[in-house]
Amino acid sequence: MSDKRWLMLVVVLSLLVMSFAGVRAQDEAAIAAQPCDEPGALTMWVWDENWALVIGSAIEAWKADYCPGAEVDLQVQPWGQYWDLLKTNVAGGDLPDVFNMSQDRFFFYASNDALLDLQPYFDEAGVDTNLWGSGMIDPYRWGEDDDLYAGPVNWDTIAIFYNKDLFDAAGLDYPTTDWTWDDFADYAAKLTDAEADVYGAAVYSEYQAGYPNWIAATGTTPIVEAGRTQCTLTDAGSIEALTYLKDLYDQGYMPSVSIVGGASADDSFNFWLAGKVTMVAGGSWKLPTAIEQATFNWDVVKLPMNPETGRSRSIVHSVGYVASARTEAPELAANLILYLVSDEGQKFFADAGGVAPANPAMQERWVESFGEAGVNIQAFVDALQDSQGVTVFDEIWDKINTELVVNIFDLGMSVEEATQLACEFIDTQLPQ
Amino acid sequence: MPAMWNALLNQFGRTPLTRRKALWGMALVAPNVLGLMFFFGVPVLMAFATSLQQWNAVKPPVFVGLDNFSRLVGDAAFWQALGNTAKLLLLTVPAEIFLALNVAVMLNQRLRGRGFFRTVYFLPVVTSTVAAAIVWTWIFQPRYGLVGNLLAPVGLRDQPWLTRPDLVLFPIAAVTVWQRLGFDMVLFLAGLQAIPRVLYEAAIIDGAKGWQRFRFITLPLLSPTTFLVMVLSVINGFQIFDQVYIMTARTTRGGVGGSATTLSYFLYQSAFVQSEFGYASAVALVLFLITLGVTAVQLRMQRRWVYYEAGER
Repeated sequence: MSDKRWLMLVVVLSLLVMSFAGVRAQDEAAIAAQPCDEPGALTMWVWDENWALVIGSAIEAWKADYCPGAEVDLQVQPWGQYWDLLKTNVAGGDLPDVFNMSQDRFFFYASNDALLDLQPYFDEAGVDTNLWGSGMIDPYRWGEDDDLYAGPVNWDTIAIFYNKDLFDAAGLDYPTTDWTWDDFADYAAKLTDAEADVYGAAVYSEYQAGYPNWIAATGTTPIVEAGRTQCTLTDAGSIEALTYLKDLYDQGYMPSVSIVGGASADDSFNFWLAGKVTMVAGGSWKLPTAIEQATFNWDVVKLPMNPETGRSRSIVHSVGYVASARTEAPELAANLILYLVSDEGQKFFADAGGVAPANPAMQERWVESFGEAGVNIQAFVDALQDSQGVTVFDEIWDKINTELVVNIFDLGMSVEEATQLACEFIDTQLPQ
Repeated sequence: MPAMWNALLNQFGRTPLTRRKALWGMALVAPNVLGLMFFFGVPVLMAFATSLQQWNAVKPPVFVGLDNFSRLVGDAAFWQALGNTAKLLLLTVPAEIFLALNVAVMLNQRLRGRGFFRTVYFLPVVTSTVAAAIVWTWIFQPRYGLVGNLLAPVGLRDQPWLTRPDLVLFPIAAVTVWQRLGFDMVLFLAGLQAIPRVLYEAAIIDGAKGWQRFRFITLPLLSPTTFLVMVLSVINGFQIFDQVYIMTARTTRGGVGGSATTLSYFLYQSAFVQSEFGYASAVALVLFLITLGVTAVQLRMQRRWVYYEAGER
């Protein structure tokens, strides 16, 4: 055979292989669950009652299909006490075998060797951990080899929730995905009605739904560089974003923290639900609340783009399942986590229609779970494309989430002074 | 051995009867004492040990001697918390005593619905501080809250009561006084009822007016109660935590720049936010010593102004 024919054969064969691979991907799960080696007893903690119901049904299915004879004691420790309890239980050497972890708290437990390295188990099960988006799992990597220590449960992104009735009343067209910060400011001005005590926007709130999204859109990593090397709040991008937001506040288009009743995204969102503000930045986890409680017509739209970078960026946060380093049944714990992040286990989350499941194969199913809500839920999935993972951590949480926000958006401190103060504190908390 | 046993028994009395009585007494208080020792004494001792260690609750503790204490002396945040606690004591203790005394004197008179009002004043004591603090957070909401609207005529609407560093201690003091008032009132009422009626009758015959009777009979004879109320209020003041935690939870968590951080809140932050349990234990120990010291000073000072009836001193 001539060289050319050899080449043709190689090309044809490789095409065939690729097409089979395609068929395989169609039929096989993105992440497949595996039978457990040996059933046993596990304790598991979650912080949300609704999740406990979803996870509870998933665990029942795991016990029936993959691990007959296993026992899981699933406990809800409410968010308000979850982290304090977890910390005291670490102290007592008494962690649950499997529990929910948040990206911003991971560092503490990982750096204290409290968590089980799940990478070997993922490798053994043939799971390519890169199939999860990097913003979702990078904050859960640890150690020299960047091993993955958590199985991502879900993700949530940020978009603008807006009150359509108030737009109609002002005779304005609804915002579209190509809108910029300038358009947003324009809307905020036109939608503010001081007489009626209605504000145009509330978007500066604490970490995930608040000002960091606007900093991210300038191309600056919000608050601290990944790897905790330095504070970025005094960088040009941070100053630009915060100055833009402070302008809106100074003009009276955004209410102060005291008037909203708090610096958290929940407080802003409740203010929006009360019809006091037209546009609010909210997380995808707020969709069920909005569907249930909003007494007006509303929709969601992607965050506006920074006019210079042309980027609209959302902070993404992913909750993970982790296992204790001291669990007596590491194989079993890892097997349960594998099931919970697999296609089968994630269906329970997709169908529950709350937070979005992390497994990429489940996105469409999640959007469909909202049925006929008439809301552009896809906006949250789209926001994943150019998203920013969480880089902040526990010890600086109060300073950047509450003090910085209150200083600027309640007490009227200048952006320069407030960011300077925040960075001075953050520097004391960064690893030397 | 029997000799020692007898020596021990002799401590309780000389005759078998007194000894038996004493032993019975011991046996009856034993469950409580044991419980106290176990659930209070042991943690206190452990806190003492922890205060000499560096411990983040996860890694094994490291013995560091008195490092935590020397660090405390140089920690500006600690002194600020101490200062805030002192300010709160000044804001709450005198107001508490003054208001509780007035309410008690009023409710000690023959008054229609007296029992009802006594209950009303006592209600905050049995209300959970957390629930109360949440309601008070709304009362101090600048735009829609009660205080903002009441003060609107004098131009004090939209004041960020709970975030401004120079204002935030007032709402916290208000909740504290409101909640302690009922308890102090009950103590004062008991004190008032213990004052013999004949003294007032004699004073009336001698022509003493209402204020004079209050000034020269009620106040002096009530001074043991006033003293008790003062000591308890000061101790309570050193422990102010819930109000700060709840009322700043949604905004500044301990005040901008620590302006609402009390010693107890500082302790909590050291332990559960910064994960420095050794340092937090040192704070707890210092807080205990300060409270003990202040109480001791009060006990010394009482000789100057507290009148006990003859023989009771």
